[in-house]
Amino acid sequence: MLGVAGLTAAAMPAMAQGNGQITVMAYGDSIFRDNYVSAVIEPFQKASGTQVQYFANPGSAQMLGTLRSQKGDPQVDVVIMDTTTAALACAEGLVEKVTAQQLPLLNDIAQQARDAGGECGPGVTFDNLVMIYNTDNVKTAPTAFADMAAPQWRGRVGLGGPPNIQGLALTAILAHANGGRWNDISKALPALKAIAANTQTFDPKPDAVTVVVSGQVDFTTNWNARAQLASIQSKGRVGVVLPKEGTAFQINTINVVAGSKNAAQARAFMAYALGTEAQKAFTERVFYGPTNTKAQIAPEALNRTAMAPQYRDSIVNIDWAEMQKLRDSWNQRWRREVVTAAP
Amino acid sequence: MTLAATDTAPHLRLDGLVRHYAGAPAPAVDRVSLGLPRGALLALLGPSGCGKTTTLRMIAGLETPDAGRILVGGRDVTALPPHKRHMGVVFQSYALFPHMTAAGNVAFGLEMQGMPRAERARRAEAALELVGLAALAARKPRQLSGGQQQRVALARALAIEPDLLLLDEPLSALDAKLREGVRDEIRALQQRLGTTTVFVTHDQVEALAMADLVAVMNAGRVEQLAAPEEIFERPATRFVATFVGRAARIRGVLEPGGVLRAEGGAALRAAGAALVGQVEAFLRPHRVRLLGAGEAAPAGIENLLEGTLARRVYTGEVVSLEAQTAAGPVTAEVHASAEGAWREMQPGAPLRLAFRANDLLVFPAQGAAA
Amino acid sequence: MIGWLLALPALCILGIAFLWPLAALFRISLNRTLDSGAMEVAVTGESYAKLLGDDFTWQLVWDTVTLAASASAMAVLLALPVALLVRAASPRWRGVLALMGIAPLLISGTARLVGWMAILGDQGLINVVLQGMGVIGEPLRMINNWTGVRIGLVESLMPYAVLVLLAGLGRLDGRLEEAAATLGANRVRTFFRVTLPLAAPALLAAWLLDVVLGISAFITPKLMGGGRVFVLATEIYDLALESVNWPAAAALAMLLLAGLLALLLLRGVFSWLPGRRA
Repeated sequence: MLGVAGLTAAAMPAMAQGNGQITVMAYGDSIFRDNYVSAVIEPFQKASGTQVQYFANPGSAQMLGTLRSQKGDPQVDVVIMDTTTAALACAEGLVEKVTAQQLPLLNDIAQQARDAGGECGPGVTFDNLVMIYNTDNVKTAPTAFADMAAPQWRGRVGLGGPPNIQGLALTAILAHANGGRWNDISKALPALKAIAANTQTFDPKPDAVTVVVSGQVDFTTNWNARAQLASIQSKGRVGVVLPKEGTAFQINTINVVAGSKNAAQARAFMAYALGTEAQKAFTERVFYGPTNTKAQIAPEALNRTAMAPQYRDSIVNIDWAEMQKLRDSWNQRWRREVVTAAP
Repeated sequence: MTLAATDTAPHLRLDGLVRHYAGAPAPAVDRVSLGLPRGALLALLGPSGCGKTTTLRMIAGLETPDAGRILVGGRDVTALPPHKRHMGVVFQSYALFPHMTAAGNVAFGLEMQGMPRAERARRAEAALELVGLAALAARKPRQLSGGQQQRVALARALAIEPDLLLLDEPLSALDAKLREGVRDEIRALQQRLGTTTVFVTHDQVEALAMADLVAVMNAGRVEQLAAPEEIFERPATRFVATFVGRAARIRGVLEPGGVLRAEGGAALRAAGAALVGQVEAFLRPHRVRLLGAGEAAPAGIENLLEGTLARRVYTGEVVSLEAQTAAGPVTAEVHASAEGAWREMQPGAPLRLAFRANDLLVFPAQGAAA
Repeated sequence: MIGWLLALPALCILGIAFLWPLAALFRISLNRTLDSGAMEVAVTGESYAKLLGDDFTWQLVWDTVTLAASASAMAVLLALPVALLVRAASPRWRGVLALMGIAPLLISGTARLVGWMAILGDQGLINVVLQGMGVIGEPLRMINNWTGVRIGLVESLMPYAVLVLLAGLGRLDGRLEEAAATLGANRVRTFFRVTLPLAAPALLAAWLLDVVLGISAFITPKLMGGGRVFVLATEIYDLALESVNWPAAAALAMLLLAGLLALLLLRGVFSWLPGRRA
């Protein structure tokens, strides 16, 4: 309750300036967009009087492109994008830096989410890598990524391979699970090659859920929020496992665009999005983990995220800034050693 | 070429050929039957759309008749595909293979017969020699003039020593100047080789000059099949009379006793008493004689018409004098070198015209019950 | 003069829609990518040097060109009978048949993928039939690999080949084949001695167009390659949108463009060779 009160106070100056209008740039797929609009944007509009335009983009790279091309004259005020891409925007000065002095709310944000933003805006959602499977074809519920390497699943596996960050996360998780640090790919390669031998596609199309539901493959890696929704919508045909090798976060950060013409309202929106009310609402709708540690999430929703207490130890901490430097060489090793291990 | 061969079985016989295109109101070719002796040249003459080209294409096997038969040398070839018919065809556009030389074009048919390379080269050269083009054997069609292409096409058709030579308007793409020469060449060659030939044309002069037999076609039917002179002088139908050659038309009533009362009031002697009633008579200009003032009609010339000169048309070799008479407009033709009073005549001057009863080609009036 | 004026709108569109972005792309290709992944504005050939010095780039070029060349040859081979059929059909059927030949153009990439999954997938038509007949035990893998990309590419390139061949064969005088028939050539010999040689320029034109389209094809390798088919277009996509390394993506795009321009010039040279007229 305190958080909400603080937020309302913070939002007041924006209202005083004559409610105004901001543009928020984020993902265009309907799962993220529709739920984010109802869970976060609409309540914010009601509370602040600020109109919010949702500028939908297919992905983070396109958002970075928009920021780069509008550098001199930004038309976007707030951007929600993947941490790896946001780090580039931060380094190129495309988004504002922010400190706990400017935004005390940052002190309530999980350390990993704060680290993900560096000097710029912190993580606003946590998502994490899981495995999904077709419960009609896979009778015994799998528990580990390594289960996909069992001989009976030859040709029945779909993986998101690098340069997609799913593949990077999977590599880090398996490196960690096999006795190395997350960044030691050599520890991950044997396990990856074993799974690759069963892999039909390293780029499931049209998407990782559809190929499992249609029966084209029986397993894919996927992000948790989407997987949970698919599990509910398919009435259990899609099973979701947080594998025992562990999981890693995909973090979306929130940033105010440098040079925003509506910076006050933009900062107010950022504060609202990081606040407990918005965090709770969004998590309970689509199972993105909250980054605000004070948010009180209903247990049944929390249990569908990696933030649930029982999963706390499974999380492999990836330093995405370091990953950025490893990305090229991991990409090459995947192509030369993992993809070629598939039939 | 004499027509004495008609007493033997004709080399080409068409028997009730019909071709009706889907959706067309009337057949393109309607029950065409004719016979052609070996070695003769038949001209299919008629306006465009009369069915002459369709008939030729059916003979070649490029179109399938809906009914009727085609016999060559007594053998029914109606069901044979074109490549088994052994007929040389010269297309209107020549249809030379652009990727082959003149010699290659001419040798193509021989190659298809399986003739050894050396022999077919020799035969192709001989065929080109025949049309006077041996020197251009190595040229591609596009390096040849229209007349040369035409002759290569002829050589190609003749090289296979075909059972029948079929020519589809072979002269129409040539300059008027070239046309007459090529026409005579083709005729001479055809007579020398004795190849039975069918020739499609819309040009009556071509047909009359070249053919042993002319089939005048109209609306899918053969109106008359006869030798050129007969076609011209004794047209069997009103259509033939008007399509072949020029003629003045005289409408009137033919009375018993052979008197034609023209609409303009003139009474003329005419043959053809069987056609009593409303008639149309046609009078060819070259049959009309011009009489000098006071000159009596020569004996045996039954009809004399007086009129006034309406128009004089000079075309070099002949002069046409068009007169207004009591039988309507009648034209007389005078040789340009002939002396006479007509040379000084101005329009409006009186004119006397004479012709024989037999010169009036009488047909039932169009629309009148026959 | 009036000709230039009339062409002005098209030239403007060309300038705005093609040349300007191209210039922007070239400019980006000269920027520098820092270790952090961030892009630094600079004028450097580092991205080009790195790409040209990388064996993987040349592997990509080889794979892309051989894929495009073989798929195009197959597409032209399959398009030829279609074009011949359309040409031989009565005018009433010609339009319908031609439309069927180019119908794949009207279908979006995703819809096409779904269709191919239903045919080539593990539970697809072919595998179900073959397994039902006992011909095979394990399903044949015909999608999510090079085979799938080849099949998909042939299908997507075929309509263009059909269009080029229809235009080319349309100029081929049907009397030539009739002439061959009257000279004793049956259909087969007529085809090989007359139709095919005369269609050769159209076949070459269709093949070259398909090669150009095949080299720049992105959707089919991306959707049907299962992440194991790497060609230039997918690599540019990955560099731009996954690795977010714009200078490298732009440099590779420029190299691809240069290659395609060279190919088109080659085609121009072909058509100027003597003896290719009409």
